[in-house]
Amino acid sequence: MAELQVLLQHRNVPGIDGIDVYESHGGYAGLRAALGKERQAVIDEVKASGLRGRGGAGFPTWIKWNGLPKSGSAQHYLLCNADEGEPGTFKDRELLLKLPHMVVEGMAIAAYATRSANGFVYVRGEFVESATQLRKAIDQAYRRGYLGRNILGRSDFCFDLHIHTGAGSYECGEETALMSSLMGERGQPRLKPPHGPLPVVSGVWGSPTLINNVETYACVPHILTHGGAWYAAMGTQRSPGTKIFSVSGHVARPGNYEIELGTPLTELIELAGGVVGGALKAVIPGGSSVPILPAEKCAGVTLDYEGCQAAGTMLGSGGFMVFNDKTDIVALMRRTAQFYAHESCGKCTPCREGTRWISRVLDRITAGAGRMEDIDLLLSICDQIDGRSYCPLGDAASWPIRAGIRNFRHEFEHWVRHGSSPIPGFVPPVRSHGPGPVPGRQE
Amino acid sequence: MNDSKLVNVTINGVPLQVPKGERIIESARRAGIDIPYFCYHPRLSMENGANCRMCLVEMAMPRTGPDGTVTLAKHPKPQTACSLPADEGMVVETETEAIVKARRGVLEFLLINHPLDCPVCDRGGECPLQNNTLHYGAGASRYIEAKRHYPKAYPLSEHVVLDRERCIQCARCTRFTQDISGDAQLDFLKRGADTQIGTFNAAAFSSLFSGNTIEICPVGALTSRDYRFRARPWDLATQKSICTECSNGCSIKLDHRDGLVLRVNGRVNEAVNEEWTCDRGKFGLPASISGERLTAPLLRDGDRFREVTWDVALGVVAEKLQAAGKQAAVLAGSKLANEDLYALQALCRGGLGSVRYDYRMGTQSSEARDAAAMLFGPNPAPTGIAGLEASPWTLVVGSDLAVEHPIVFLRLRKSWRFGKSKALEMVSSSAPANTHVGAFAWSSVRYADRGLPESLRSACSLLLAEMPGLTATPEIRAWAATGTPPADDTASRRMATALSTGPGTILVGEGALSGPDWREVLVALGHLAGLTGSTGSVNRLVSGCNDRGAEALGFGDWQPGTAGILAGAASGATPALWIAGADPVTQYHDPQVAIAALEQASFVVVSDIKLTATARMADVVLPSCSVAERDGTLTNVEGRVQRFWKAFEPRGSASPDWLIAARLLQRLGKPSVWFGWQDVLADMRSHVAAFGGVSLDALEKDGAMLVAPQVVD
Ligand SMILES: Cc1cc2nc3c(=O)[nH]c(=O)nc-3n(C[C@H](O)[C@H](O)[C@H](O)COP(=O)(O)O)c2cc1C
Ligand code: SF4
Ligand code: SF4
Ligand code: SF4
Ligand code: FES
Repeated sequence: MAELQVLLQHRNVPGIDGIDVYESHGGYAGLRAALGKERQAVIDEVKASGLRGRGGAGFPTWIKWNGLPKSGSAQHYLLCNADEGEPGTFKDRELLLKLPHMVVEGMAIAAYATRSANGFVYVRGEFVESATQLRKAIDQAYRRGYLGRNILGRSDFCFDLHIHTGAGSYECGEETALMSSLMGERGQPRLKPPHGPLPVVSGVWGSPTLINNVETYACVPHILTHGGAWYAAMGTQRSPGTKIFSVSGHVARPGNYEIELGTPLTELIELAGGVVGGALKAVIPGGSSVPILPAEKCAGVTLDYEGCQAAGTMLGSGGFMVFNDKTDIVALMRRTAQFYAHESCGKCTPCREGTRWISRVLDRITAGAGRMEDIDLLLSICDQIDGRSYCPLGDAASWPIRAGIRNFRHEFEHWVRHGSSPIPGFVPPVRSHGPGPVPGRQE
Repeated sequence: MNDSKLVNVTINGVPLQVPKGERIIESARRAGIDIPYFCYHPRLSMENGANCRMCLVEMAMPRTGPDGTVTLAKHPKPQTACSLPADEGMVVETETEAIVKARRGVLEFLLINHPLDCPVCDRGGECPLQNNTLHYGAGASRYIEAKRHYPKAYPLSEHVVLDRERCIQCARCTRFTQDISGDAQLDFLKRGADTQIGTFNAAAFSSLFSGNTIEICPVGALTSRDYRFRARPWDLATQKSICTECSNGCSIKLDHRDGLVLRVNGRVNEAVNEEWTCDRGKFGLPASISGERLTAPLLRDGDRFREVTWDVALGVVAEKLQAAGKQAAVLAGSKLANEDLYALQALCRGGLGSVRYDYRMGTQSSEARDAAAMLFGPNPAPTGIAGLEASPWTLVVGSDLAVEHPIVFLRLRKSWRFGKSKALEMVSSSAPANTHVGAFAWSSVRYADRGLPESLRSACSLLLAEMPGLTATPEIRAWAATGTPPADDTASRRMATALSTGPGTILVGEGALSGPDWREVLVALGHLAGLTGSTGSVNRLVSGCNDRGAEALGFGDWQPGTAGILAGAASGATPALWIAGADPVTQYHDPQVAIAALEQASFVVVSDIKLTATARMADVVLPSCSVAERDGTLTNVEGRVQRFWKAFEPRGSASPDWLIAARLLQRLGKPSVWFGWQDVLADMRSHVAAFGGVSLDALEKDGAMLVAPQVVD
């Protein structure tokens, strides 16, 4: 039982955030290796690695890269999704903080492969330190000739990298909303197939656009340095490589852990020092959007895309939250619902109205005023959001609630019957909410 | 999105051939299948649409397996039909159990926060939310939490009031201001369930086109301050009409009750206003015809007026006109119908032997107009409104287009929005920094006072420099080389680049040819049009509602024109003057001249709908009808003759001007054969070549174009 550190191997080396130390630990070898190949060969290497997007959906990275036009003079944009807003997930933050050059290098390689001359890292607004670290790294990379004009003397390769910070919206991590936000528009999602073009066809400013997660880019230098086959040898056949899990909750040593995909779930808990404060009650393995797993279903689950799916949940972004038996699941669901109600962008009816409704009903239940029919009402509201919203945020708001009720219905019933928590002594925080102050003139 | 290629789709089992990329909601509609919707609007962009989720349908696409077999792969999630582009082999189901359930869910969500104050809502009775609820809604609400509350009646502007509780966040209004009017004044504030409509920093919603948002709002969230709470839709009668507030001639609907126009809505006319109106028409028209109206003839009695019968009034007028004979004169207002103008003309020429009639109140001379016709052809607006969409570039000179020609402006913007046209503008440096056209213009060139000829010459000069191979006479080259060297700023250079791409369109505002420098402007315009190959597409945009009709009838052909008529009234050379629907005291470019003339005139009769400043100075005042109280036709800026319909009875004994003229002709012993407005129109069609092609059929639809006179050398 051990971590397998590829990305995080040198994270605690002093000065690894600076370019000299980074280079002395193999940094920018991946870029050099990439520039020694044809652009298509770089994409093929990523294909051979089997790398899948680490932003949540697990989409094969090479297919996106391969989807951008390979000829023509159109401007291509390269975006890095560093919005990391999913509750429970904090891996991108640490990567940018400690290993910003790895992300810069990965993006430079992707820019070369996809003929993109401009890149943007969309950094979550609250990540001020991460953005500062990234700024330093970008400046250093320019000075070393890893960014800018004629990179490493190649007249056919120029790449400018910019930072754009968000303004506090989870939805802006959804790739098309991120693009709207980047263009200065309201942070709302845009049409996708079959209704509109894929970003690789028409993304920001109508140009072909590639978007990947921070961790996805961070994998790329290693794949180019050591070869796709080397990477594919790790993990499972369908979920190759390693993945960083952000472990939080009732464990002894919360933090980021990099493990081979396919590692048993229970092993990750052990790595983090085991459950504290009581026995294991449940795990949310992939960030707040994915269904909760009760303890009894955790045994035998492996942490890879397929393993999580088989267990009825998802790997998501790797926000691994552990809950002991002192956890009030209804209160947890209420807090989760509040998050989605707060973060719904308001564009589409089901999510705008449904998330707030769920949150209100859970407020009422945890205030002791629940009705037995409220439990089925919640399930019904979830059904009315799921699959009908404009973007996946609506779906993601419904899944955890539905799973919470399916797996812990008795706790909801307890709240309704007794007007109090099944956990002795637990009193949920009071929160009042409603529309905030209304801007504007009043008649 | 559409291309002409047809694809096969199946909707509810019905096989259809539709253009590839057509939105399924439209394909279904053509097949007679209605899909419910709130946010969809065919003229608004899709990018911020597809949000209400009411139009969900099930969709499957054929998929070819590795062994070549084709199976139907159903999309796991329902899809919004309003944004779903038709594709080969697509199979759509619009009424499955799952879909009906999904719609019921969407409706429930829309209603949980809706105030359900339908009984006092302006939209009640014509509300898509009410209607869809009737079809899909559940009987009882499962929502017991507190509803969203906002202060009611938030004033967005002097015209538009917002009820945020009723808003369903469909983004139609925001998209209208972004896509159509382009001022982008409305947007969403906040997010999630707090999302609401507003303006930046709560500034007034001052768009020139704000009223359209009231019409396209699918609920009663946006209401008109004038109309609010004044009527329920089912109490109103509706009549088709034409707006008289400017020369663009929008097709509108008048919603009226008890002889009052309570509301103006746009009516679809793809050739003119598509479906939009401007605020001047929407709010200004009802105002202009409501209020204190004339209901009976008035006869001057010292300092005051005395009500008299038509018999008495017409007796006085006929006597004075007859005595004046060919010295009698008529001044007509720009809102008079074609039939009025024709009858007035017949009265003058046939009844009195006079040719002294005019309609112009501005400074543009007949000479300027005739010279322009010589240069650019007899049709003043050959491109037309819809024609702008096909023009690769359009140059606007001498007009604040959005204000003077709102609908022409919207069409120009539309052609720019779909990437078909570059908008160019030459605008006086005294105009505001951000002109409406300037907001999207490819180039906006500024000229100093009286600098338009110079600016045009500079453009020609740059164009010649840009295209050395251009055919141009030595005279033109010499002309272009005179004066100050061409401006060398970015805007001028961009303008030259656009002009060098081939023939385009030039829109000339009335102001451009109304100044003392009109000759220089014309010469320069002529050269610019010649050099760009656009001589046939120079459009002189008249401003007054029916100025085009008056021009086509030759109403302003008498050389001394309005100035001559007013001078005659002052000097006694015009012993009798009929001012029909005009108010020179406020409309003539030099009001003092008009006032002095009226003070000295020996006899003035005014026919109008209200007691205007001019009417107060008259000897006899005759009540006439507004556009709502009669039938007739008007000719818009592009020469489109359009019919309007009587909505309700005239006030008191008011009468349309053509009928007043007919009755006077009778008294003059020259009876006409006009018993109705159609008879006047029929006469006009057979005697005035320009109106020869105006068929009654076309008048029932989008109107009929004037026949341009043949050029005779
Ligand atoms: C509501 C929502 C929020 C998201 N937030 C993030 C995020 O913060 N970071 C991220 O990388 N991907 C996020 N995603 C996923 C992105 O849309 C996108 O799939 C991802 O950036 C693609 O990168 P990848 O292929 O490298 O995973 C989010 C998706 C949704 C629906
Ligand atoms: S599901 Fe709808 S409301 Fe929710 S974030 Fe996406 S677009 Fe916005
Ligand atoms: S005000 Fe009306 S048009 Fe605008 S978003 Fe709300 S419901 Fe739609
Ligand atoms: S553009 Fe002219 S015709 Fe149309 S509504 Fe406005 S004022 Fe009336
Ligand atoms: S009509 Fe299609 S989503 Fe609103």
